[in-house]
Amino acid sequence: MSDAILDAVGITKRFGKDTVLDHVNLTVRRGDIVCLLGPSGAGKTTLLRCLNHLEKPDAGAVFLENELLGYRRVGNSLVELPPRLIAQQRQRVGMVFQSFNLFPHMTALENIIEAPVKVKGLSKKEATDHARELLDSVGLLNKADSTPQQLSGGQQQRIAIARALAMRPEVVLFDEPTSALDPEFVGEVLAVMQKLADEGTTMVIVTHEIGFAREVSARAVFMERGRILEEGTVASLTDEPQFERTRDFFAKVL
Amino acid sequence: MPVLETGTTDLKRLALAELSTRPRPAIGRYVAATVAIIIAVLFIWSLAVNEAVDWSDVGRYLFNPRVLDGVVMTLQITVLSLLIGFSSGLVIALMRLSQSRILQTIAVVWVWFFRAVPVLVLLILVNNIALLYPQLGLGLPGLPMLFGVDTKTVISPFLAAIVAFGANEGAYASEIFRSSIKSVHQGQFEAAKALGMGSVRMYWRIVLPQAMRIAVPPLANNTINMLKGTSLVSYIGVSDLLYTTQSIYAQNYKVIPLLLVACLWYLAMVSVLSIAQSLIERRLGFDRKRRVTRAAEEIF
Repeated sequence: MSDAILDAVGITKRFGKDTVLDHVNLTVRRGDIVCLLGPSGAGKTTLLRCLNHLEKPDAGAVFLENELLGYRRVGNSLVELPPRLIAQQRQRVGMVFQSFNLFPHMTALENIIEAPVKVKGLSKKEATDHARELLDSVGLLNKADSTPQQLSGGQQQRIAIARALAMRPEVVLFDEPTSALDPEFVGEVLAVMQKLADEGTTMVIVTHEIGFAREVSARAVFMERGRILEEGTVASLTDEPQFERTRDFFAKVL
Repeated sequence: MPVLETGTTDLKRLALAELSTRPRPAIGRYVAATVAIIIAVLFIWSLAVNEAVDWSDVGRYLFNPRVLDGVVMTLQITVLSLLIGFSSGLVIALMRLSQSRILQTIAVVWVWFFRAVPVLVLLILVNNIALLYPQLGLGLPGLPMLFGVDTKTVISPFLAAIVAFGANEGAYASEIFRSSIKSVHQGQFEAAKALGMGSVRMYWRIVLPQAMRIAVPPLANNTINMLKGTSLVSYIGVSDLLYTTQSIYAQNYKVIPLLLVACLWYLAMVSVLSIAQSLIERRLGFDRKRRVTRAAEEIF
């Protein structure tokens, strides 16, 4: 437990009457690559968003290393932290979105150095040097001065990954990073993620790319109706599922 | 062989392929343009040869020192009212977008009141505020007032004008800010938060620059309306452009030349604002995404 970077304990989340997450436990250790798999509506994205407090759980808590994420304990309840402290915690958790969410009024390079300069207080020179390394590693050094509108979806997502990494996060969350892409661009984004995996980056990935999950993922978590149904390697889930529902799901997507 | 069977058709098609296309002859458009030009020429002619307009008077008074002072006063009122209006508008918009029901309600009531009261009524009301509150200062009911001052000494007509126009503009600007902030995609807020930005930085660096793209054209509209609207201050005796020209023609009866002087100055000031607007729009990068589309059939 000591090397856990994110530890979700008994997370319950409701949207109105719907219980989207039902007492979910998930531990992410340093160096882990966890893929959240399952049918849409299972709560994968909601769980992921709870891991950086973009979604506030109705019950349960997430530990970031050994501090509570987004809350402090007062007696028998958890009281939300002031925004400043939540912002500090979020610096340690990177996020890559399905729809990229690059800042359209900035160039690729400006997107990447914005948070390191303004939030972490790095000098512009330092941040730019690091940003160029990152641009190089995602293969887009020549697009540093392009605006998001001038880039393809795959290029935008690779810039978004570089932007998340620029904060040197301890864990990176990926929310269906290839679902909004034209098929021709999926490969280039997965290749960048594969590279991160090889470098030992801690990642939590919501994805429908089972083949990719099988390649990179040490652990796969199969979710269904707000619960974690079973965990294991991707191969064990696809080849020897414990539950009928798991079998049905993989039979459809494979 | 299909080519042989449809030989004649193919010949016809080949002949067609040689032709170039032309747009539909626009006779209606020429007629409309001619009529418009004739009307415009007649109107300009009617002014140019009109004996009521002594153009040398217009020239003489255009740069008259009193008129110039009036222009400066108009600009001062406009700029200060805009500063009050835009900053209070932003605060009210953020209150309206806040989670707090109380702040939301205050914002709604504020906007409701200052949009409902005609700006001229507001202007006269603020100018006479001393009748309502003879003393201005800090204090609680039943306790002596701290730093109380005589209202009449503080509220000059000039200040009344700035407060009234500022409050009026704030109500309208807040709606523009609110809708333009809401038009920024939710993902932009989330991306900023996920990078560890606090709320102020998120708004200042990420949300507002994008919201301003949408807000600038209507804000520029309001600015132009405000500049012209300040002519109402002549009702409370502030010597702006209109008041000055009126007081000059009250003495020499050169009504039309002096009103034309006022028109020319308003035209000039609004033109400058329009140019400033297009410069700001270009700076914010509207041109990058400009697409020429012709969605609707034209009438002319």
